[in-house]
Amino acid sequence: MKRRPFFILLGVLVMVSVTMAACAPAAPALPYEEIAYDEPLVVAADSCDYGGKIKEIRALDELTVQFTMCKPDPAFLAKAAFTPFSIQPREYIEYTGGTGEILEHPIGTGPFMLDEWARGDSVIFKRFDDYWGDKPPFETLVFRWATEGAARLLELQSGTVDQITNLSPDDFATVQGDTDLTFLAVANPNILYLAMTNTFTPFDDVNVRKAIAMGIDRQRIVEHFYPVGSVVPDYFTPCSIPNGCVGEPWYEFDAEAARALLADAGYPDGFETSIFYRDVFRGYLPEPGLVAVEFQTQLRDNLGIEAQVVVMESGEFIDESTQGNLDGFYLLGWGADYPHITNFLDFHFSAANPQYGDVHPEIYEVLEEASQIGDAAQAESLYIQANNAIRDLVPMVPIAHGSSASAALATVENAHFRPFGAPLFGRTDPGKDTFVFMQNAEPISLYCADETDGESLAPCQQVIEPLLGYAIDSGDIEPRLATSCTPNADSTVWTCSLREGVKFHDGSALDANDVVACWAAGIDASNPYHVGNTGAFEYFSYLWDGLMNLEE
Amino acid sequence: MTVAQPEVAQLPDTSLVSKPSSLWATTLRRFLKRRSALVGMGILSTLILLAIFAPVIAPYDPTQVLIGIEDVRKRTAPCIHLLGCPLDQPQHLMGIDGNVRDQLSRVIYGTRYSLFIGFTTVGFAIIVGIILGAVAGYLGGWVDNVIMRVMDVLLAFPSLLLAIAIVAVLGPGLENALLAIGIVSIPAYARVMRSSVLSVKVTEYIEASKALGAGPLRILIGSVLPNAITPLIVQGTLGIATAILDAAALSFLGLGAQPPTPEWGTMLGSERNQVFTAPHLVFFPGLAIMITVLAFNLLGDGLRDALDPRLSSGGTGQA
Repeated sequence: MKRRPFFILLGVLVMVSVTMAACAPAAPALPYEEIAYDEPLVVAADSCDYGGKIKEIRALDELTVQFTMCKPDPAFLAKAAFTPFSIQPREYIEYTGGTGEILEHPIGTGPFMLDEWARGDSVIFKRFDDYWGDKPPFETLVFRWATEGAARLLELQSGTVDQITNLSPDDFATVQGDTDLTFLAVANPNILYLAMTNTFTPFDDVNVRKAIAMGIDRQRIVEHFYPVGSVVPDYFTPCSIPNGCVGEPWYEFDAEAARALLADAGYPDGFETSIFYRDVFRGYLPEPGLVAVEFQTQLRDNLGIEAQVVVMESGEFIDESTQGNLDGFYLLGWGADYPHITNFLDFHFSAANPQYGDVHPEIYEVLEEASQIGDAAQAESLYIQANNAIRDLVPMVPIAHGSSASAALATVENAHFRPFGAPLFGRTDPGKDTFVFMQNAEPISLYCADETDGESLAPCQQVIEPLLGYAIDSGDIEPRLATSCTPNADSTVWTCSLREGVKFHDGSALDANDVVACWAAGIDASNPYHVGNTGAFEYFSYLWDGLMNLEE
Repeated sequence: MTVAQPEVAQLPDTSLVSKPSSLWATTLRRFLKRRSALVGMGILSTLILLAIFAPVIAPYDPTQVLIGIEDVRKRTAPCIHLLGCPLDQPQHLMGIDGNVRDQLSRVIYGTRYSLFIGFTTVGFAIIVGIILGAVAGYLGGWVDNVIMRVMDVLLAFPSLLLAIAIVAVLGPGLENALLAIGIVSIPAYARVMRSSVLSVKVTEYIEASKALGAGPLRILIGSVLPNAITPLIVQGTLGIATAILDAAALSFLGLGAQPPTPEWGTMLGSERNQVFTAPHLVFFPGLAIMITVLAFNLLGDGLRDALDPRLSSGGTGQA
């Protein structure tokens, strides 16, 4: 009896605790508040003199965004569907200041939301139950990585991962002959080229460059160092891209004529130089070291050129080659970001690209004119001129359109690898609660507005979404956060209608200001949130011909 | 009357006493008793012959690409007709590498590079080490302190790490790798030489040489060096094995010999990802490195046992 008050007190405490727990919010409160759509946001350049393609991005109403262009861009839809232009909440960008937390923890509208990034080990995602589209049939998505192709295949064969990327060419037959695995051909258009910088001797002589174009047996390279399905290119752009393969085809291999041309240029006994490359697996260059040595052999045997093979760190190689600082040959390639010829030709041969040394107006002037024509047939004559000029001036030698492949366990339904972009894992079904994907390397950051490497873009695509997207099996454009984007008569104004009822992973609702805020952080150099990981926002810069409001 | 002849003291029968043999003859006799050392010597002799006669022995030029010459593809497995490989296929005892070259020819030519690396780096290190050790030991004082502290600093780093750092500064390439390996090998020889100088320079015959007016250089070369040569030989033989391993490691990392040089470490490095799909491309260069290093180690151990005066009366011949 003496203990009755104690038990009453205990009972009351338990009741109070239970009541408080029941009334408490399910998740910790966000450190920022949702901003209701009121004042429409706008980001604009003072004028179009900055050289870029976008003049202004404006929210017209809660679910409408308008893009005003400086000049027509027929590839607008294809570009806008690219991952770096994905949307995150305006409030989150302002809260993070466009850097810090947002680099490691993106908040999007995608079918998965980030759960944990265990540095050096894995990135774990959980299903987003309020996703606007079809919800993934499994709960947990895990990204892991291994640099060696053999290691990735071993993991797949042992069943510790469900899908891997970048199958080594030597493993194609193994996977195709294994009934427990599914071979997934990747139809991403790409090109490997042997480039030269014309500000260095002897590459300043077009006859030397032509001799090299004729003196390389490209068929031998593709036949022996590329997987089945790879082709020797007649043009820089793959033929699956409209207007890619028009004009005069590339030079035939003719070592004798090449030597004669080299002798006429004053190098009858060849010369000494280097071949620079990075030891990174890409679909267009699956075995960089072997191909570099093969070039070394062919240059020596066919042209008498003694070249030293130099492997460089990947980042340094990209910086030095794209700035035109390498004084020898270099092996570089390109995988299509979006299905349009401008993604190949305009990027590589525009007036702003110094990677081959002095730029050629014979090429870039035609390309500038062609890039403003929406009708492919109408633009064909200009692309014929451009391709012929590339052939005549030989800034580089196109070597191969490589085929590549991925692989998955046979138990995974709808396993795929898209021609453009990473797989959409929300549409696959592993038949269990967890799906594990293994890629080449760890992401650099997950703020993909300011990333360019595929290992960062792939996990981003599970979490964040752009206004539009690419189909699973082609380059066709599909609606994502926008239900439609329509142009005016001369394609200088694009109006995008946003999907209703879309929620971000933080529970806030998508509106037009979120779209403007995200684009502004990327394309407006004067925006306070234009910080990111490197601050370069390279895809904003190069796909839209420059950042607006950039200080001189 | 007979006169007793005084007894002539009986001299021992000289035929039962062996003539005193020279140091080198004794050493050679002891060395020949060690079976493992003979095995090492035999392997090394074979490797030297392979290196010298590589152009005659190797079936192909090591950099020759066989595309268009034979019907072979990259990374083809070894084809040995005696073991059942079809006769219509070209015979390649160690298979074809990633750039469609004969692997056997490359391994044979690789012997040249490995032996060259071993002898030159250790030769360089011994010469520099002898000079530094002799100067430090003979002069003593602050000179000794400075030289040996620098040697201590070099010894404080793992040799391969230090070699990587040196190559990173000088740039990749075989010559720079040789220099790096040579530099990191110097302290071991300098210490051996210095300790020999310290132990010999206080002996009476050195004092006598000094009294007779011999200069430091003459004393070092004429009296000290002969006494230090034995441990240097042993150290050098074992050091060659280490140098070959270090060079292979540097080349494996892409810092040593550059393509298309048929150096074993480079061959291993370029095909390291094929360990499951084309194991012959890593097995044979790896085996070659292992055999060469083993040969030098066996030889070094044998020389150490043969040259060690402490074993002069009780050596059993077992290494």
